[in-house]
Amino acid sequence: MTPPPAPLVAHDLRKDYPMDGETVHALRGVSLRVSEGDYVAIVGPSGSGKSTLLQLLGGIDTPSAGAVELLGTRLDRLSDRELTRLRLTRLGFVFQRFHLLPVLTAGENVELPMAEAGVPRAERRARAQELLAYVGLEHRVKHRATQLSGGEMQRVAIARALANRPAVLLADEPTGELDAATGREILELFQRLNRDGTTLVVVTHDERLAGQAGRVIHMLDGTIRD
Amino acid sequence: MRGVAWGLRSLGRQPLRTALSLAGIAVAAAMLLDMVMLSGGIDKSFSDLLLVRGYQLRLTPKGTLPFDTEATMSRASEIVRSLRRDPDVVAAGAVLGSSLYARTGDSLVTLFGYGVEPEAQGLYELTGGRDLAPGDTTGVLLGDPAARRLGVGVGGTVTLVGRLDPQVAAAAVGRKLVVRGTVHWLYDPRDQPSVGTVLSVMQRLAPGTEDDRASLILVKARADAQVPALAQRLRAKFPAVEVNSVTDLVAQFRDRLVYFRQLSYILGSLSVIVTVLLVATLMTITVNERLGEIATLRAIGVARASIVRQVLAEGAALTIAGGGLGILLGLATARYLDAILTSFPGLPAAFSFFVPRADTLGVAAVVLCATGVLAGLWPAWLAARAPIALTLRAEAT
Repeated sequence: MTPPPAPLVAHDLRKDYPMDGETVHALRGVSLRVSEGDYVAIVGPSGSGKSTLLQLLGGIDTPSAGAVELLGTRLDRLSDRELTRLRLTRLGFVFQRFHLLPVLTAGENVELPMAEAGVPRAERRARAQELLAYVGLEHRVKHRATQLSGGEMQRVAIARALANRPAVLLADEPTGELDAATGREILELFQRLNRDGTTLVVVTHDERLAGQAGRVIHMLDGTIRD
Repeated sequence: MRGVAWGLRSLGRQPLRTALSLAGIAVAAAMLLDMVMLSGGIDKSFSDLLLVRGYQLRLTPKGTLPFDTEATMSRASEIVRSLRRDPDVVAAGAVLGSSLYARTGDSLVTLFGYGVEPEAQGLYELTGGRDLAPGDTTGVLLGDPAARRLGVGVGGTVTLVGRLDPQVAAAAVGRKLVVRGTVHWLYDPRDQPSVGTVLSVMQRLAPGTEDDRASLILVKARADAQVPALAQRLRAKFPAVEVNSVTDLVAQFRDRLVYFRQLSYILGSLSVIVTVLLVATLMTITVNERLGEIATLRAIGVARASIVRQVLAEGAALTIAGGGLGILLGLATARYLDAILTSFPGLPAAFSFFVPRADTLGVAAVVLCATGVLAGLWPAWLAARAPIALTLRAEAT
């Protein structure tokens, strides 16, 4: 019996940018395998290529060379529409700036990816309530995003990322905009998520966040150092 | 929670900006509505006015339009008798219009007089008292302005004088008449003091040497469909007079007022352009402000089509909301402008330049909605094409 494919595999990823007439090598051949249930933290100084790596892993940018496989599917072989659909259904994203839609309530923000995926209204409403309860915001379902604190907004963003039951949750500096106490709440939430089976890849400067990961990848000058 | 409802909610993000944009769109929409009403309203109003009593044909002196000049037709009674014998004619009546005077104490009040055949008249509607009977040579009808100016009502008497000699200010003919009723003269300019008598009385009072004359003969055909053929037949039968159907008169009127139509097209087009620019500018600013949010939505798997739909919905919502206000503003300004334009001398007070009609409002609404969608296309394209990674990177720094 063939074992199930790893959720996320990167093969010799390279990314070059043109800048002021010169080429910047943001990634210089990065290979990585994330197994189911992993909690991977990617750390490194600014400009080391960690956010670029996360964007390539998430299919929101294309590598100059190399390839990413998500659940055995090569992302570079998908059309824009297929890739969008894959991001919607198999990946979850959490960003430093939460980017919730301010005109929607917390519940509606969580429902949004499910609505996009065509989940029936009653089902997505129930799932949104379940997820908001999971992140401790069951009492904030009907509050607009603008009525929430930074920590609450990030928790709603995490609930939104989990809406379509993704295979991997990717987070880019999820505590970057939060104070220490609120950041700690997010760390605890990430730990709980991983304990409950969510595969996590987190880019962070936050040593506490990196410290709780099962595996830490150090990046420097577009390469993995260990 | 998608589409227009989401678009409407998004308008609340920047309330002041939205309010100013709505005001701008409302003004442009009001102008569009007014111009659409003006372009079709003149014809409609003129046609409705001419047909208000169902007379579809007018016979006038050769080369003239009704009450265009002081020219009269001779042998009017002969023409009317001939018309009434025509099997396609339901009613025909002659009218003679003339300036005349009423004596009040030592002074004379200038009036306009209509001589009518009460059994076939298309000039007035009774508002009080009773109508003149055919052949009533001692009765008179007064419009409200004339009744006010003369200070008499139903049952009172009025002395009308005509054929005034300007050298000696003495009238050759005078007639004491009893006010039978008050009427609304359908084609009178605002505040024109008009009176009506039977045709024979007015023929005696009006200047001129010939007795059997009329300014106009009104003809009611048995059916609207027969009007063009009947007009053609009457032209052949009475070559010395002008025969015009309401359609002919509207066409001639339209030719005379062609500049109104051109003006309405130009100003209407300008208002559409202003609306497009306003909505497009606002939506472009909005999209640029929200690029991070849009990139996030794209990153989490929201399709380009959904982003485009959202931006278009927001533009449409803005236009619809502004357009709604614009309709109210447009109706109010149309009323005001109408009051100014219809006060021009010689224009019937009942005439209207701006006529609100369901089809007019429909055209304006469709044009506005299309404008909103059109204006949102460029910003929507910008939003859909925003590079996700680059935008998120720029947002993070």
